[in-house]
Amino acid sequence: MKRALAVSNVHKSFGGVRAVRGVSLALEEGHVLGLIGPNGSGKTTLLNLIAGLAKPSKGEITLDGRRIDGLAPHRIVAAGIAKTHQIPRPFLSMTGRENVAVAALYGSNETRDLPEAMETAGRVLGLVGLAGKEDVASSSLTVQQRKRLEFARVLATGARILLLDEIFAGLSQDELRDAVALFARLQGELGFGALVVEHVMRAVLTVSQHVVVMEEGSKIAEGPPQEVVQNPAVIEAYLGPEAGRAPP
Amino acid sequence: MRRLSLRALGPTLLGILAFLGVLAAVAGWMPLVLLTLVINLLIFAALAYSINFITGLTGYVSFGHVLFMAVGGYGLAYGVGTLHWHPVAGVALGALVSLALALGIGAVTLRFRGVYFAIASQVTALAGFYIVLEIQELGGGQGIVLNVGFEPIAWFYTIWVILAIEVGITYWITHGRLGYGIRSIRADEDAAKTLGVHAAALKLVLFAISGLFAGAAGGVYYWQGSGIFPNDAFSLTFSLIMLAMIVIGGLGTLLGPLFGALAVYLSSQYFLTVLIGFEFVIIGLLVIVIALFLPEGIVGTLRKYVPELRGLIE
Repeated sequence: MKRALAVSNVHKSFGGVRAVRGVSLALEEGHVLGLIGPNGSGKTTLLNLIAGLAKPSKGEITLDGRRIDGLAPHRIVAAGIAKTHQIPRPFLSMTGRENVAVAALYGSNETRDLPEAMETAGRVLGLVGLAGKEDVASSSLTVQQRKRLEFARVLATGARILLLDEIFAGLSQDELRDAVALFARLQGELGFGALVVEHVMRAVLTVSQHVVVMEEGSKIAEGPPQEVVQNPAVIEAYLGPEAGRAPP
Repeated sequence: MRRLSLRALGPTLLGILAFLGVLAAVAGWMPLVLLTLVINLLIFAALAYSINFITGLTGYVSFGHVLFMAVGGYGLAYGVGTLHWHPVAGVALGALVSLALALGIGAVTLRFRGVYFAIASQVTALAGFYIVLEIQELGGGQGIVLNVGFEPIAWFYTIWVILAIEVGITYWITHGRLGYGIRSIRADEDAAKTLGVHAAALKLVLFAISGLFAGAAGGVYYWQGSGIFPNDAFSLTFSLIMLAMIVIGGLGTLLGPLFGALAVYLSSQYFLTVLIGFEFVIIGLLVIVIALFLPEGIVGTLRKYVPELRGLIE
């Protein structure tokens, strides 16, 4: 297996706050890696470090063996990595199609031809189930639709590694089931690799081949999903010290 | 390659070009009073299009844009007065110095956002004023009086060409790949970056273009005025008028700066005859009313409330 994305002993401090403390992980080509942990455990910070939105204080991040830590965000995108936002950030003044067209025009594909980018945008909107919303102002989309728009945009950049920040959060049970099925289907069809940060355990355990658990900035466990959820350290991190101990 | 057809350019661009074409055709026959009015209108329009590149398109409010207009004027005055160049060459010199200055200033100030950028740009204009006061080659506090001829036709065609190029570039930017990148920056700069938009480079290019044309328009303005004086040349009033024109006309649009220039320049000329100084009260009121009730300016409002115009004006 080819390790596409490798994070090695990465640290990040904000003033006195050590948000990420020496985390390492590896994502293989076309695999889905789940990244879970309680609130404030440093998951989003780690994604931001990979996406170039912040620079690691220490450690390195490589893509196919090439250092990418500290590169500007647009260069990370050009290298083939794109990230969604935890709270969707559509360009509100644009339609759905235009939102995705920006990604097609400036992503790693760098489609220079406008009509072609529009066509790509329409196709990708169809893939994520937003057909019919192409010419609707993105400001009028629901939360669920905005999450899908986020997803459509990263797909349209042509990225082969997606950094997905809580794309399954805040959805109803039905929406969640649809979103998980959609994700699994597209991942199978398009074969992208993904680093999925998630609170919704059921979703992340379903879609990931491998799971990394973080707590207070450190990696406390990793392994196949079913193994990780049995891990006492993980149970303790989520439910408190009592729950982690074996019953007397 | 797609074939370039006139129809594909859209009614707005064709309309502006037709308007400019008619002006160019009849300029030679205009009575002097009217020609002077038209020249000044075109200078104002050129200033409006220049600030539209940065403030209209990216949303970065350049509060000190008068700096580039003044630098254009000083470039002209130095080229003509000291180097004894032809005034058109002087205009070009002023424009190029403005471009270089915008690149240098923008590389620093475009890192600030919102009100911080506005303040920084105002500070650069103030700094420019005090620096010019100390440079004897630029006349210090006395300014420069130029011994140039009264050449309304030359002024007209020079500013006409400048304006036509600006309109062309505005069209090219707003209708292509760049337009999407710029709109995404204005909507959400950080989100734009995460989709691959090199926001810093795009903003700097626009700021440089903006400086270039503000400088060119300033050059013609002071050529026509046959001299430049620092107290007037760095006046905040010019920056405010430039902003007023695009706010009134419609930020970031192709037609807005022209409408804004018409509204501001014509009303200022009219009210100037009523009571000197009163024109600024009127422009101020106009900006307040537009900002409060028609935040998308004349162009945006027309598009919103007159559906028939939607495909026609942009």
